[in-house]
Amino acid sequence: MPMTDNSAGKVGAAPEGARARDRLALLTADNASVPLPAGVQAITAILLAALLIALPWLGLGYRFLSIAITTLYTAIGLYGLGLQFGQAGIMSVGHAALMGVGAYASAILSVQLGLGFWTSLPFAMVLSAIVGGVIGLPTLRVGGQHYIIITFCFCALFVIVLTNGGTFTGSATGLDVGSVTPLPGINFDKLSNNYYLVLAALFLALAATYLIGISRYGRTLRAIRENEQLARSVGINVDLHKLGVLMVSGLFAGLAGVLQLYYLRHISPTLFGAFPSLYLALMVMLGGARYLYGPLIGAVIVNFLPEVLNLDPVDSRIAYGVCLLLVILLLPGGVGAGIKNIYCALAGGFDKQGGGSNGRA
Amino acid sequence: MRQLGLGLTMAAAGLAMALQTARADEELPIGVIAAQSGSFVSAGNTIVGAANLAAQQINDAGGIKVGDKTYKIKLYIRDNRTDVNVSIAAARELVNDIGVKAIWGTETHDFSVSMAKITGPAKVLQFSGNSSLGAVLDDKAVADDGWLHYTFQSEPQEWQRSGSTAKGVLSLLTPQLKSPPKHSVVFVGNDATGQYLSSHYVKALEAEGQKVDLVQYPPDTTDFSPLLTRIKGMKPDIVHFWYNGDSTLTAFPQALKLGVAPSYFLFGVDPGIYQERSLKADVPVTMSCVPVCWGSSPFPEVKQYFEKYFGLGAAKGPQSSVSLLYYDYFFWYAKALEKVGKIDDPDAVVAELLKSDYKGVVSPVPLVFNKHHQVTFATEVCMVEPNTSDKFKCAVEQPPAAPPPGDNGG
Repeated sequence: MPMTDNSAGKVGAAPEGARARDRLALLTADNASVPLPAGVQAITAILLAALLIALPWLGLGYRFLSIAITTLYTAIGLYGLGLQFGQAGIMSVGHAALMGVGAYASAILSVQLGLGFWTSLPFAMVLSAIVGGVIGLPTLRVGGQHYIIITFCFCALFVIVLTNGGTFTGSATGLDVGSVTPLPGINFDKLSNNYYLVLAALFLALAATYLIGISRYGRTLRAIRENEQLARSVGINVDLHKLGVLMVSGLFAGLAGVLQLYYLRHISPTLFGAFPSLYLALMVMLGGARYLYGPLIGAVIVNFLPEVLNLDPVDSRIAYGVCLLLVILLLPGGVGAGIKNIYCALAGGFDKQGGGSNGRA
Repeated sequence: MRQLGLGLTMAAAGLAMALQTARADEELPIGVIAAQSGSFVSAGNTIVGAANLAAQQINDAGGIKVGDKTYKIKLYIRDNRTDVNVSIAAARELVNDIGVKAIWGTETHDFSVSMAKITGPAKVLQFSGNSSLGAVLDDKAVADDGWLHYTFQSEPQEWQRSGSTAKGVLSLLTPQLKSPPKHSVVFVGNDATGQYLSSHYVKALEAEGQKVDLVQYPPDTTDFSPLLTRIKGMKPDIVHFWYNGDSTLTAFPQALKLGVAPSYFLFGVDPGIYQERSLKADVPVTMSCVPVCWGSSPFPEVKQYFEKYFGLGAAKGPQSSVSLLYYDYFFWYAKALEKVGKIDDPDAVVAELLKSDYKGVVSPVPLVFNKHHQVTFATEVCMVEPNTSDKFKCAVEQPPAAPPPGDNGG
């Protein structure tokens, strides 16, 4: 049975001499459109959820748990970027600034009006969504690298505005906030409770991403990604959908930004500049933007790689660069694609699976 | 059988001796969080260097006698990789996993503030050498239930340092110029530290009768010539390269080439570095160190300190002297522990630190913490003779008694 994926080519009925090459193609294919069996998807989700829920009890220490929290809120922001890049094909290198909009909105509401985490969160998310849409307006006229440059400029301008914003933005020194307002019986000063708060938000982001992926809206976005002109010609309101996905991405970024703010309890412009934005783009490409767990995988790799291998920032950047090159050359769909391909190879290859394209696995 | 008995007896005696030694050398866990890699490495390494030297000296001298026990300092050094997330993870690890009694670091305002939100609730003392902490160390923050009650600023308040530096620079340069300087331009990096520090320095220069223009450059600038050309057009008497010694070492040669001003001040550039790099100017150049210069100190204690510090393998750099913002406080903390008689009573240690003083290396006058947990000491300013790299004249300026007009001191 032929594969529906473009990059892999037809691998199901390979002649004897080309078997090795076919195996390589199988492992390096971007098979985002090929769904895994529902049972496998459910088991993967349950195992991952169980692992993430059990993490604080595994005795890995506070350092590990702290980096896990950083990884999770980063992943939430990446799910927004994954939607706009993976589903709609709109890449951004200014996504950290969008997280910054959420973080600063929440911090300013806290400092100026005394609003806490729960009350400022919806405002911050909505503001990030609106800003995401406003930055997205140019995508109606330009695309590809032109839009990437626009997002980079937005990021640089955002940092300049914050740095020179006086006491309102705290200037370069930044702003401080208190703890997350406790819920009955739950004090979020306790690190494990803070972890579960961020984890709950990650589950929401994952669920939203999954539902969008399998919905008609997700299919429409993918149609726009694959051929914008064709999508337009069949009556899809491309402009509206593009702005829509950028606003949804902004919602995710706003949520991630507020979680980051209340984890660090101090923010400054440098957290939301060009460099953190590039890291986000790197993570989503490493993990695989088209895969449900791709953003999470990307966040885990970038946050934990220096810890596991004890790399300093210079070595880390070299390692990330090498990883990115390897991913581009060998796994165009990211590490998420690689993991899925390994599973598929172990389970007997793609030819034994259904060939539909009704979402992401 | 007799041999077996003898062996058992000897083993028991050995075990008892080992236990006795272990009991005599209790461990005092102290954390150090600093950038040993990343963009702040030159400042971060100085914290580690100072901590290693101080811990070694205290332990070699027999340790810290607290009650009837003697404690040896065990340092837990963590590299923050110039990353706030790693700093926080390291602080969590040191406070919650290891259980350190105090933490030294970091080199960065943002990191120190975020860390204080972990050390404060855990009642772990934190010594940070960021003068910008003055913006948050107020009555409420350092109160018994305040979030900075256990945080100490091991660098003088910025208005004090700015005041003594401005006075020193003008007193050294004025005799060198044809007419008394009236117009200064402060050239500073536009980041958190640069903004905070320059706001005080501008006021200090104005208090000394200077007309001051502030020109900021984006962090990570390498080509300063457009901004320096603009400054040249302002016809200043002195250009003050403020705050970032590493950037200053890039910008200053460009300024000399462009002939921007008839005199200069280089903040955070040690005479030792000026000499090592064979820098030369045909106009008078002053420089100051944070807090005292390793290349040209008038104090024998400081000279001895830097001999030992560099003897441990620490690199000579523009920020080497920053190590002295951390060194003395190990001894002061040890003294406070001995006085309190317990290592598990941080409130008593804080109270003891606030009422005691300590004569250290950084200052000939004993160090004292004020009610906002900040110290006070003088600033050393040096001038190099024109067309030389190694002929320095240094002066130690005491800080002013009060902030200048327009400076709220915070």
